Amino acid sequence: MLSDCEAAELLSFLTPSTRPDVKGKATEYILGLSGNRDGCRFLCSKADLIAALLALTSDPSVAIVKDCYHILINLSADETLHQVLVSKVKILPVLLKNLQDPDYLFSDHISTILSNLSRHEKTCRTVFEVLQEEVGLAKLVEIFCNESYNKKAKLHYMGPLLSNLTQLPEARSYMMDQDRCVIQRLLPFTHYEGSLVRRGGVIGTLRNCCFEHAHHEWLLSDAVDILPFLLLPLAGPEELTEEENEGLPVDLQYLPEDKKREEDPDIRKMLLETLLLLTATKAGRQTLKQKNVYPILREFHRWEKDVYVAAACEKLIQVLIGDEPEQGMENLMEVEIPQDVEEKLKEADAKEQEELEREERMRREEEEKKKRDAEGTDQEK
Amino acid sequence: MASTEAQDDSDDGMDAFMDKFKSQRYKNALSENNWEEEFNKIPMFMKTAPEEIDPKKYPELACLQSIIHDEDRTPEEQAKSLKDEGNSYFKEKKYKHAVVAYTAALKKKCGDQEFNAVLLTNRAASHFHLGNMRSALNDAAAAKKLKPDHLKALIRGAQCCLELRNFPDAIQWCDEGLKSHPTDNKLRELRATADKQKRAAERDARKAKAKEKKLTGEKEALLSAIKDRGIKLYQPMSSAPEGSGSEGEDESPSAGIAQLSLDSLSSLEVTGAQVSLDEQGSLHWPVLFLYPEHQQSDFISAFCENNSFRDHLSVMFGEELPPWDTDKKYHPQNLQLYFEDEEKETLYQVDPDSSLLNILQHKRFFVKAGTPSFMVLVKGSSFWKQFLSGKKIRGL
Repeated sequence: MLSDCEAAELLSFLTPSTRPDVKGKATEYILGLSGNRDGCRFLCSKADLIAALLALTSDPSVAIVKDCYHILINLSADETLHQVLVSKVKILPVLLKNLQDPDYLFSDHISTILSNLSRHEKTCRTVFEVLQEEVGLAKLVEIFCNESYNKKAKLHYMGPLLSNLTQLPEARSYMMDQDRCVIQRLLPFTHYEGSLVRRGGVIGTLRNCCFEHAHHEWLLSDAVDILPFLLLPLAGPEELTEEENEGLPVDLQYLPEDKKREEDPDIRKMLLETLLLLTATKAGRQTLKQKNVYPILREFHRWEKDVYVAAACEKLIQVLIGDEPEQGMENLMEVEIPQDVEEKLKEADAKEQEELEREERMRREEEEKKKRDAEGTDQEK
Repeated sequence: MASTEAQDDSDDGMDAFMDKFKSQRYKNALSENNWEEEFNKIPMFMKTAPEEIDPKKYPELACLQSIIHDEDRTPEEQAKSLKDEGNSYFKEKKYKHAVVAYTAALKKKCGDQEFNAVLLTNRAASHFHLGNMRSALNDAAAAKKLKPDHLKALIRGAQCCLELRNFPDAIQWCDEGLKSHPTDNKLRELRATADKQKRAAERDARKAKAKEKKLTGEKEALLSAIKDRGIKLYQPMSSAPEGSGSEGEDESPSAGIAQLSLDSLSSLEVTGAQVSLDEQGSLHWPVLFLYPEHQQSDFISAFCENNSFRDHLSVMFGEELPPWDTDKKYHPQNLQLYFEDEEKETLYQVDPDSSLLNILQHKRFFVKAGTPSFMVLVKGSSFWKQFLSGKKIRGL
């Protein structure tokens, strides 16, 4: 690694007035450093270098700015750098200010950095605090949900940012502020075809929010109406009878024959988990039963090939068609589980996981075999 | 009027003044007969104002009005009074008058942005209550232009869009409003309503499309079944340039079907019965039996193509003969059936034991108005002799 002297020299190259080619070489070098773990750890102790890079993000040369942002992205991906970035160098206010600028070229990079920084709870909390001071979560959501906000950046990575932020109860509160229109803006994006990252981020956010069962009634009410948006990606083109159609939420009725289901299995699983969370309370269970979602899940289960996702679906169906739990156990999230029962359940879970893994292995082997057979016959020709 | 001596405690001479009327009559008193009417004419005591103020009849009102609208007053004052006038009319639900007042106020072109935004918003509200949604929307938009955070204008704009069933625009108005008033209840509710109705409208569109698709599918299946059987539909002269469709050799199937438009199947019958395809794939036709002798007819709404004519005749004429059969001669075994080939002016006799399908497939049978029709005569009767004489007849 560089000596202190060399580091000081490098720092001197990172001023706005330095010749562009020298500046460029300097940033290039640091970019290389930031690409590996040792380099990152080294830079961790060099807050002044990072501060200089942050200042260089206002450099007139786009190439330089791009390098600086790439460096910051790399650094933010390493958790050990978080404190330096956020507390020493104080990158957040600058980043957040630029993010709000509708003409800013590097807003996508900023989103990625913020998404990285908010992954783990400690720094996430700091990010959220500064965010609330500088922008406000509501404004952030507005920017994210306005597809034409920034012509030069897609802002898809704000999705995972929001998802990360909602690991904090404070953020969930803001997201679900009943006096404002915040979470409602996210809903149309549950089936946004343009970006997996955005879609996943939105659904992750909704899932996190659904841990707050005190808000379930409001979430399921007309004020938000979260249910159809969770089911739409799971619904397919299969024709349902007129009777089944009429009982469904409006958005799920008479779906066209080219309707496609969510392609990513992890997202499908997240949707089912979110729905399962909504069945925690008695009111939630009732609503889901009333809204006649069962046919959607029935057809989905028939279609689903991934064993883990199918298992999640089965769990949900079980709750929907099963009997109501005994008195006192109606809120599934508040039920106290005695120690021995908990152990047994853990065992059962572990066993189930094994089973699923076995099933998945078998399914894959079958597929391989089919492939080989097909190839085999081709060759025989 | 006051007498110089103070006869009493008052020093304004009021008592003396009043005393005078013990002997004198007050001039200009209200007449005893219609004092209520006259009372109502005094501006201060008017219950309602007249629509138009005729200076001759209501001199005091006209006077007041000219004070209010005196051109000598500054434009600002005039505009303010016009605004107040509009507001009063609005309260009384006289929306047309309110519009006039607000418009006049706006014409004065004074006051700041806020003032004019309020005028426009109020006029928008008046139009809204009159049902003039577009005018209301225009006014709300104009108000918004003057003052982008004017809450009432934003709400009104959203409401107009809702009434016009333009849900995406309604949502946009709400979102604009929520930028400057993020916690406003009304905006939030309007947005939720607009969103809900938008999604319902989308569902309706999907439902209509699905229904149309189903109908088209059924229609195509029907026409396809008819064409496959080689049954010819009579085409009216105006449509289908190539004439009756199913004989076209080189046409693609869909073009052939397109020619056999459903119009040529539309029945002139009041019942609106039409040929249909059942689940087993058999066609059921509405069929007319005509009895030229007695100018009567029978309508069979669904004659299955596999049934024979005898099946129906034995039921229709088996037990009881129809009342118009005065000679009681229409027994099933005496009946003869014919269909007419209009073009060739020929009558073809129908074997009652043949199925409907067989006859429809006859190369000279054309289904007219979607309803095959057959003439029924009594063999050997004098009408039969008369009817058939001079006509070209073919057996089967």
